[in-house]
Amino acid sequence: MKSVPMLSSAFLHPAGHSLPEPLLALRKERASALVDMPLPTRKTENWKYSSKYLKLADDMAISLPAEGKTGNSLAVPGYKVVFLNGVMIPEASEYPDLDGIQITSFNDLDADEANALAARLGHTLDHAQAQFARLNGARFEDGLLVRLKAGAVLDQPLFIIHETSADASGSAYPRIFVEAGANSQLTLVEEYTSTGQASALISTVTEFSLAEGANVTSVRLNMEGENVQHIGATGVRQQRSSRFESHCVGFGGPLRRHDLQVRLEGEGAETKLNGVVVTQGKQHYDNHTSIDHVAAHCNSEETYRNIAADQSHAVFNGRIHIHQDAQKSNADMNNKNLLLSNGAEIDTKPELEIYADDVKCAHGATIGQLDETSVFYLVSRGIDRRQANVLLTMAFINELVEQIPVAVVRETAQARLSDFFEQTFREA
Amino acid sequence: MLSIKNLHASVEGKEILKGINLEIKAGEVHAIMGPNGSGKSTLSQVLAGNDAFEVTEGEVTLNGENLLELETEERARDGIFLAFQYPVEIPGVSNLQFLRTAVNAMRKHKGEAEMNAAEFMKLAKEVSKQVDLDPAFLKRGVNEGFSGGEKKRNEIMQALMLQPKLAILDETDSGLDIDALKVVSDGVNALRSDDRAILMVTHYQRLLNHIVPDYVHVLAGGRIIKSGGRELALELEEKGYGWLGIKDDDASN
Ligand SMILES: Nc1ncnc2c1ncn2[C@@H]1O[C@H](COP(=O)(O)OP(=O)(O)OP(=O)(O)O)[C@@H](O)[C@H]1O
Ligand SMILES: [Mg+2]
Repeated sequence: MKSVPMLSSAFLHPAGHSLPEPLLALRKERASALVDMPLPTRKTENWKYSSKYLKLADDMAISLPAEGKTGNSLAVPGYKVVFLNGVMIPEASEYPDLDGIQITSFNDLDADEANALAARLGHTLDHAQAQFARLNGARFEDGLLVRLKAGAVLDQPLFIIHETSADASGSAYPRIFVEAGANSQLTLVEEYTSTGQASALISTVTEFSLAEGANVTSVRLNMEGENVQHIGATGVRQQRSSRFESHCVGFGGPLRRHDLQVRLEGEGAETKLNGVVVTQGKQHYDNHTSIDHVAAHCNSEETYRNIAADQSHAVFNGRIHIHQDAQKSNADMNNKNLLLSNGAEIDTKPELEIYADDVKCAHGATIGQLDETSVFYLVSRGIDRRQANVLLTMAFINELVEQIPVAVVRETAQARLSDFFEQTFREA
Repeated sequence: MLSIKNLHASVEGKEILKGINLEIKAGEVHAIMGPNGSGKSTLSQVLAGNDAFEVTEGEVTLNGENLLELETEERARDGIFLAFQYPVEIPGVSNLQFLRTAVNAMRKHKGEAEMNAAEFMKLAKEVSKQVDLDPAFLKRGVNEGFSGGEKKRNEIMQALMLQPKLAILDETDSGLDIDALKVVSDGVNALRSDDRAILMVTHYQRLLNHIVPDYVHVLAGGRIIKSGGRELALELEEKGYGWLGIKDDDASN
């Protein structure tokens, strides 16, 4: 009998000991729980399409050093925090002191704050489903705490630039914890980029805790290089009448995985999840989303689009769980997929578990190819075929890209996507 | 300008065009009439290069050049324009982006500089007024949610922007109210010139009051069975296709 592959013990030795004591203790406890952690295989339900892309070598267990130059990122109009290999770089970060808003690196927390954080870290996530969030919990060396007091409004978007610099093999474990007080408002942009060519693993966790009436918009741009395996998890808990909006734009890689888990725990909470994924070559991308309607009268609206070219592989798994007491829930999930070549693969799966009787729950998934009639219409006006393909492919996701609320991110995403498609449809 | 000789074409193994012969000279306007299913749109689509249709026999030349060897986009750049019977809706591509890309593709082909956004906007607004479309439509998706009449006006707008040598209008008059018919006809008449030709497919002689053709052809069962002048349309309107000895089951294939 073949034995189940385990996470190598090399991964259980965190570096970076400047964290406050309560967080170090937490990390240690989580690391000891990871001994004998099985790695996902194709028999692991939530990894069945993606386990083959996961390639962890022992030399990737080493923490990537948090030194070197940063700068391979967006010129941002708002506030900016830069992380290099999971550690905040204060010199590269720019944000003012703001009333009612705390933006602090984990390493700078005082004992009380660290205690309070340690008690809550990880509480937005179902770790059985997001296995690698546990690895992050055992390995994070720093992180960012963003706390908004009741009524606080961040007047400009906060950009968190996560740069991975991999000149030699290794891994990094960036972590963000956002606590949005009652009726507070925040737009947070996470950008993941990389430099260097050595094989690297990035395991990220981002958590959002929304108190009553809080309004949080999250944008996530995933643009790392071909040497980086990225496994990220985002957890969201929403109290009464809060509103969360997420826009994820992901470019494929050797392994890309994002788990997004939202719990609607207070009546009248609303969540909107948009996602765009593009893959080409032999790239991979796997989005697993999960929405728990725990309280009654909540709305969720989810729209994901995948575009896969060449021999690439995109996966979407959308779970909606409507709990017994969540009457009058309104859930709408839509996943459309575009296959640009016969060799590409897209797997899409809705998972609905509905235990309340008075709910509206709609879901739809389609997989299609570029519409020949539309291509003909465009080329009949003298537009080249390649450009017609680019236009129509962009059209497939424009509706979502246009909803990205921050202009610089939207434009960056648009430019990156159109470069990507130009390359996809390059002359053979 | 356009010369079609013994053109046969089929779709999904079924022969639709069964030997079309037609000569169109610069400056001329030809009308094609004929029963439903007789092959009028097929002929239009074949000329524009839709490869859903297979040409099995015959030849087509445009100013002496073998048209059938050219890709659709090359035909367009050489001056062929097809106003679709059923214009395609393309959500997510704005009319503006679509028109600008097309206009610039044509300019590039002619060795002209691309139009910048401001120049283009000015032209697009002018032409949209000419076809009585609110310029606000430029921001919407291509034909997205357009009424039947708006779609047809948009086809004419495109023709006016692209200034083709041979405009093929497939039932551009269908579904238009009286005012829109006037707008569309004025647009088409604005295209008429000594170095251009127009081939228009229509079911209604009323269009021919606005755009007076030099020749009228009747297409039935995949062949042109009668050609004549302007008066042929009037005669058809009066007497119906039965007068030409077309039985209902001959009309289509
Ligand atoms: N893609 C296709 N697949 C199968 N049959 C087709 C296809 N396109 C056209 N046909 C058939 O070819 C024949 C001719 O169609 P065409 O559209 O050319 O007629 P038409 O003369 O334009 O008719 P109408 O006046 O109704 O527009 C019809 O019998 C039609 O059903
Ligand atoms: Mg027709």
